Amino acid sequence: MDLYLQQLPQQLVNGLTIGGVYALIAIGYTMVYGILFMLNFAHGEVYMIGGFAGWWALHLLSRNSIPLMNAAIVISLMLIIAMGVSGLLGIAIERFAYRPLRKAPRMNLLLSALGVSIFLQNMVLTYQGAEIRFFHVSSLIPESIRVFHIGNVVVSFMRILVISIAFMLMALLTVMVKKTKVGKAMRATAQDTEAAAFMGIDVDRIIVIVFLIGSALGGAAGTLVGLLFTQVDYYVGFQAGLKGFTAAVLGGIGNIFGAMMGGIILGLVESLATTFFPASYKDVVAFVILILVLVFRPWGLMGEKIPEKV
Amino acid sequence: MRKIFTLGFLASIIVLLLIVPSYSADVSQGIHVGNAGAFTGDAAAPCMEIFNSSQLAVDEWNERGGIQGVKIKHIMGDDAMDPAQGLNVAQKFVSDKLMYGVIGPPMSHIAQATLKIYGGANLACITTAASKPELTEQGYTHFFRVNARNDAHGPNCALFMKRQLKAKKIAVLNEKVAYCENLAKETIKALNELGITDILQDTIVGGAKDFSPVLTKVKAYNPDVLFFVATAAPDQAIGVRQTKELGIKAIFFGTEGARDKKDFIEASEGAAEGAYVYHFGPDIYSIPEAASYVKKFEGTYGALSGFGPPAYEAMNILLAAIDKAAKDGDISRNEVLECVSQTANYRGILGFPVTFDEKGDLKGGATYFFQVVGKDFKQIAVMSGK
Repeated sequence: MDLYLQQLPQQLVNGLTIGGVYALIAIGYTMVYGILFMLNFAHGEVYMIGGFAGWWALHLLSRNSIPLMNAAIVISLMLIIAMGVSGLLGIAIERFAYRPLRKAPRMNLLLSALGVSIFLQNMVLTYQGAEIRFFHVSSLIPESIRVFHIGNVVVSFMRILVISIAFMLMALLTVMVKKTKVGKAMRATAQDTEAAAFMGIDVDRIIVIVFLIGSALGGAAGTLVGLLFTQVDYYVGFQAGLKGFTAAVLGGIGNIFGAMMGGIILGLVESLATTFFPASYKDVVAFVILILVLVFRPWGLMGEKIPEKV
Repeated sequence: MRKIFTLGFLASIIVLLLIVPSYSADVSQGIHVGNAGAFTGDAAAPCMEIFNSSQLAVDEWNERGGIQGVKIKHIMGDDAMDPAQGLNVAQKFVSDKLMYGVIGPPMSHIAQATLKIYGGANLACITTAASKPELTEQGYTHFFRVNARNDAHGPNCALFMKRQLKAKKIAVLNEKVAYCENLAKETIKALNELGITDILQDTIVGGAKDFSPVLTKVKAYNPDVLFFVATAAPDQAIGVRQTKELGIKAIFFGTEGARDKKDFIEASEGAAEGAYVYHFGPDIYSIPEAASYVKKFEGTYGALSGFGPPAYEAMNILLAAIDKAAKDGDISRNEVLECVSQTANYRGILGFPVTFDEKGDLKGGATYFFQVVGKDFKQIAVMSGK
């Protein structure tokens, strides 16, 4: 038992980091679903391209793996570029793959999303190759502060950075949705698109903003994972997209806070499950919990029960 | 009803195509050799090294005038590490009438999935890396390997951990694929026989990029050695990096996939220093016969990791067999198969003679051990079961 207990604090740190990343990805799924009622399966690929954009920024800003300027500036630029590229990509996907189909049956939108996903994956494969890109990050952080020991727990600077950035982005989004006019318009559009349009809200613009924000957060997640785990390749979007989608459903799809909660819970469950079961069971445990939640609360942890319209 | 007939007709054609035995043909129609492997995905780097090395051998044969004056065509079949795509590649290769032999597949799980198809068509396959023992235990006569089997590597690794690394308590993490599971099993069996029973075994998911939860478990167990059994070097790089990050004191001991300067040593940015890896091939730079190959390869494709040399050797063995089978101007897959199986004491660039036993396995396979020193691997031991 002691063997288990001593692992718990470390597993909490592990789970919180990956959970923060899942949460950022889940937000993209949930925001789009909230407004368009569609599953944006291309979101995993947006995340992957965000990872590549971050890698590319780091590559341009360093020589022989040594950054050319202050590490804080390099990391900020990586994030800004990744979020910019992914955000614009999100807008383009909406404009060319989803908007023309908005009045079509839901199934067509879903197929279009799958098509975009396959297209993006293969585009990156064609232009970047299958080779894994490595983030040479060790020279970004001085050796003396690379890891911290708190009792038996080891926390690397990168983990602290990733957790802080993830939570900061989520806090910013929360403030935006709750306090600003655009946020209000987003909530109104999610509640009832037609009524929102009648009230003078430019629904098309709101949808573009939703894709911009959701995709930018996905791109940020891609770069954060790159900084943390130091690798990106054309195939990382599939697994990450699946996890982000699961987190969104767990939290209650359509609910932004649910997506955040769902991501963090999924990350924690995966890490803690590894403590008590063989590691190959971590996904089993995570999905059993998802199924249990859906059996007892089909609308997810934080989602709302929508009464059927008669 | 008509539909059923059409389906039945199509099915019988397919069955006929599958059971048609190999036939003889005039060499001048052409000679194709295949190369099956995961040329995209996580293992793309080592597999491309296999392909490029085979290509070098083909080019050399072609420069010398080919076989019976016919230029050899080298065809790539990408399975992306996916058994289903491996089956497609196998079907494509066996239905190519001019295909007389295949290098690969290098992954045990793909080799396993495709045994029946290649075997049914009597198409000789020489793998350069697939080491799961069962591959040559199923009665197929077409499958050969220039690398040793896991049941040689496993005991050798166990011996190495006990003797060289003085391990008493060991953690074994293996990826959930055929080669890794099997190697872990063979190693643990041998460790038990050597009296080491204090072992933690757990699994990792290849390509998952984050192994910290399972490594946290390893840390709590506090072993002397962490035997990290994963296919691809990038996963090994993450493994060694996160092992260091978590402050795990155990010696990191990686598998053959890790013997990759770029994707393991460079990618781990210093974390791999002092780590050990095993490989089925010796240090190619120390073998005089390999000098010309190394120079040619590195001049064209960049640094070598260790997967290339066996592929160059295998392709030369295959082409020598095809050459022998084609001497009379007539060639068939059966003839090629016969000639490959007769390979004995072939001395190429690997530093040991290649002889296939009756199962198609390499006779007297050894395991080579390396340590990461600076930016390179230093060979420190060879074990061959004793």
